Amino acid sequence: MNVGECYIGWAVDEDVRKRGGSGGLVVATLAAALEKGLVEKVLVLKKHSTYDAEPVLTSDPEEVLASAGSLHAVPAALSKKIPYGVKVAAVGKPCDIRGMYQMALRQQFNLDDTYLIGLNCGGTLPPVPTRQMIRVMYGIDPDEVVHEEIAKGNLIFTTRDGQEHAKKIDELEEAGFGRRESCRYCIVKIPTNADLACGNWGVPKDKLGAATFVEVCTEKGVQLLTTAVDAGYVQVEPASDKSKEIRKKVEKAMLDLSAKWRERIFVPIENRLEFYREALRHCILCNACKEVCPVCACGEDSKCTTMPSSLETHNHEFYHLIRFLHIMDSCVACGMCTDVCPAEIKVSTLQARYSLPFQEEKGYVAGMKLEKPPFFEVE
Amino acid sequence: MSEEWEPKIIMFCCNWCSYGGSDTAGVARFQQPPTTRIIRVMCSGRVDPTFVLDAFLEGADGVLVTGCHIGDCHYINGNEKTKVRYEFLKRVVEEFGIEPERLKLEWISASEGDKFASFVKQATEDIKKLGPSPLKPEVVE
Repeated sequence: MNVGECYIGWAVDEDVRKRGGSGGLVVATLAAALEKGLVEKVLVLKKHSTYDAEPVLTSDPEEVLASAGSLHAVPAALSKKIPYGVKVAAVGKPCDIRGMYQMALRQQFNLDDTYLIGLNCGGTLPPVPTRQMIRVMYGIDPDEVVHEEIAKGNLIFTTRDGQEHAKKIDELEEAGFGRRESCRYCIVKIPTNADLACGNWGVPKDKLGAATFVEVCTEKGVQLLTTAVDAGYVQVEPASDKSKEIRKKVEKAMLDLSAKWRERIFVPIENRLEFYREALRHCILCNACKEVCPVCACGEDSKCTTMPSSLETHNHEFYHLIRFLHIMDSCVACGMCTDVCPAEIKVSTLQARYSLPFQEEKGYVAGMKLEKPPFFEVE
Repeated sequence: MSEEWEPKIIMFCCNWCSYGGSDTAGVARFQQPPTTRIIRVMCSGRVDPTFVLDAFLEGADGVLVTGCHIGDCHYINGNEKTKVRYEFLKRVVEEFGIEPERLKLEWISASEGDKFASFVKQATEDIKKLGPSPLKPEVVE
């Protein structure tokens, strides 16, 4: 096994294979890493319901295997859940992993001790609106849903009776449901910054739903996968060129869709000062956006939180100015700040108005590499 | 109070160059409008973007940041860091709909009294044309 190679794999254990999202390869790999002593702990998503899961640090292989099939984590900065100096394997969406890279760039997180499994992501769904959407748009009981999938521009829910219900994502999003806003314009769909990039794009038809496409991205990825294979937890076969091609095609389709949404969401605004004032007016200074931010490395006494005094009401809404400025170079547009905002401010999209064009100008995708960003070039 | 409106400008001067420049301007009696409130910092690199934004929120009509010429920094490369930071800051200020003329960065050495005076003059004129800052507390309220 070498860096850069692609495989189709699945869990050997039948139960895990069935419960897992696509063949249970990820949980089986994590469990093997734990069992064989490659890592001390594993950060998995503990499933609450089909729509809810919570990141938990565990050293129990059983709990790891039990997490198979979890979707949609609650908003949480994963790097802040991992203690320093402990060898950990973690799973995450591209934005989660990009957040970890950003923290590592700021010496807040040790990537060397962390094995990362990235999951392809075409966007995630907010739990409560999704339940509503399933009821309204699909006409089915949200508690009946056992599996969900995005394929060919369709959002597909599988119910307990094995039936598939598909609807066009465009149609859902027109109706105000669908993916979170930041997912719609996200620019990283395949987490090639992780050690293993897993997903079901490119899995041949006959194995669809029962196998995972894995790209080995780093040496640590090689270690992870060989450990799992040697331990007999996982079976792999090399991916065909056709598989790789299909995966690329799916990614491209998703990126094209993102580009379209970007044009729609980031329309130029006339009176910007008024726009921002209006957009941020309801901020209650709870700092939740800062707490949850995966790239915010300042800690307790950060400038942005000490800036506004609650006596001066005229500049409340501009607390975000400092954050906009601070995170401009590192924002990964994960959208968690929007998720947690109690005043329902679209913080992430406001932030992205600054950060995305700025990063793009410098040809920089935040959190993909562990190297100095191009902004701080001081010769 | 029928006098002409005068802008309030906060100016950050580096101890080693531009603050000396202001002295030179005074000693040589170069005329300049009395609109600036100078804050001396040890290096233009000390000027945190927060200071600038805070100045705007406290009612400044303009903010000028001045430091040593590139290569002349007393602390090797403090002003180069200012430059990097300024790039971010300018973007935010502009995107927020505040006129970019309200924020300026200039390198002025201790001997350039005339440059100091003309810079302040020019900046004052520019800001006067724009009128009071939209971020002033009294405008906001």
